[in-house]
Amino acid sequence: MIMQQILNGVASGAVYALFALGFSLIFGVQKILNLAHGGVFMAGAFVSFYAVAAGAPFVLAVALAMIVSGLVSVVIDLVAIRPLRKRSHDIEYAAIVSTLGIDMMLISLAQQVSNTQVLRFPFGTFPIQFYEILGLRISLLQLVIFALVIAIAGGLGWYLYRTSFGRQIRAVAERPSTASLLGVNPSAVYFQTFFIAGALAGLTGVLIGLSFNSIHFLMGEPYMLKAFVVVVIGGLGSLTGAVVASLMLGVLQALTVAYLPTGVSDILIYAILFLVLLVQPNGLFGAAGVAAGVGRK
Amino acid sequence: MMQFFAANQALFDFFLLSLGFAYSQQIVLRAGVFSVATVGFVAIGAYFAGYLVTQSGLDGYSAIAAGTLVAGAVGFLLSVPLSRLRGVFQAIATLAFVEIVLNALYYLEPYTGGAMGMNRIPKLVHSWHLLIAVAAVIYVVWAIGRSGIGRAWDALRQDETVAACLGVSIRKYHTLAFVLSGAIGGMFGAMQGLYFYTITPEQFGFAMVVSVLTTIVLGGRSTLFGPIVGAVILAVLPEIARPLAENRLFLHGAILLAVIVFIPDGVGDVLVRKLRRRRAPEAVLTGEQNHGVS
Repeated sequence: MIMQQILNGVASGAVYALFALGFSLIFGVQKILNLAHGGVFMAGAFVSFYAVAAGAPFVLAVALAMIVSGLVSVVIDLVAIRPLRKRSHDIEYAAIVSTLGIDMMLISLAQQVSNTQVLRFPFGTFPIQFYEILGLRISLLQLVIFALVIAIAGGLGWYLYRTSFGRQIRAVAERPSTASLLGVNPSAVYFQTFFIAGALAGLTGVLIGLSFNSIHFLMGEPYMLKAFVVVVIGGLGSLTGAVVASLMLGVLQALTVAYLPTGVSDILIYAILFLVLLVQPNGLFGAAGVAAGVGRK
Repeated sequence: MMQFFAANQALFDFFLLSLGFAYSQQIVLRAGVFSVATVGFVAIGAYFAGYLVTQSGLDGYSAIAAGTLVAGAVGFLLSVPLSRLRGVFQAIATLAFVEIVLNALYYLEPYTGGAMGMNRIPKLVHSWHLLIAVAAVIYVVWAIGRSGIGRAWDALRQDETVAACLGVSIRKYHTLAFVLSGAIGGMFGAMQGLYFYTITPEQFGFAMVVSVLTTIVLGGRSTLFGPIVGAVILAVLPEIARPLAENRLFLHGAILLAVIVFIPDGVGDVLVRKLRRRRAPEAVLTGEQNHGVS
């Protein structure tokens, strides 16, 4: 029984990881908190739903969702981040406000499109199958999620640390001005990172829409908040940390929901967030460069 | 005049309440802390006062005082972990604080009524109470702003390192800002609770965080007039055009985006600066206009 809970926890943690990877990538490169990430996630779910409803095959719907949410994310960069960057280097506060504004606009649009209703994928969009492995029940969807997370996290790591594009991204993350002296165009790098992050968020949206079979305009908010917990525990900007912390969070959530009274789970999770901020603000894997301001006297 | 006033009394009270919340938010932003904890303080104040009045039979004034004190104390506790953090980490931590408060309200059902909220609270607060409270808060904020504390906050906001080098204690002034923000938030929360007959947890969600933040971004972070300008615009806009009222969320989002991109210092602050410059063209100004957003 407890093993089954842990397995389910790892599965939902894997989905958090997909979401948090994009969020952490943007923070690692741009040093901003993209609060519109939850809106992009929801946009992905919406696009896939309407594509399926229009009769598109599921795989095409997923591809479409990833492309559209990637583009939405790029538009966020163009509209909400770039004008600020032109004006000043220190855009921490301004970027939080502007991306929050975009998030509200996305939520409001989605509310109108869906008439405030909960959307559900038609039955049979994704085959519901269960397998028994070592006495544990695991669904086909969970297997697909595991495979996707391993492939994407591995692919992202390879892209960032083994290719020329990745080297450019890391150079810009280190210092945009020096990178541009070396012939790297920071704008192109921002474009790439926002597209990748957006596409990942869109994919997560589809997977969540499938797992819980419910898509609605407020679905991004809880994931956004969970992503905060993940990136703080894992260390902002650290991709390994994001994956590990997501899995931990998923397991913790599954266990607390199963064994503690309802409602305690979220309180506990956010209390842990506070505790981590108090004792280890850079997270478990946080780079020293991302100083959270510890030891300020 | 009186007729206009009577016809728009609900709107006016709404304006006064949001002005109170706005000052609670502004005071931390002014000290250079990016906190959005105000909504949490408001919820604590509202529920505390509501509980005292309905269950313990306390009178309104004591309940409001109790809500103010409790929220101020929570602000003090919150400042302990937060004074170790900065920038985005403060934003994350305070958002988590709001979330903890919300979840606690759902969880502590015997005391808070859970998702149904607290009902049948007597209406003990009227317009003139709100007016006096707002006047008192404006006076306090004004007086503090003119004192050394206000200058210390301004220094911290503009450059923390320089301020620390000049001997401004970061922790002390941030703690002070948090306690004041908590007390103001708690006071207006308590008044809101005793004004609307009923309080539910969902009132204090993300939408309220956004609307309080919008008021300050729109109005400005550093002057006394900022929150007033922001609250007036946000209260009046939906009354002018119906479609704006129906899409309040979209409106807030668009205002946040447009103002931070085009008028980063906020409408109120820019107006005040223009007036000052006209009056004293040769005077040395605050020097903030070259700073942009920081």
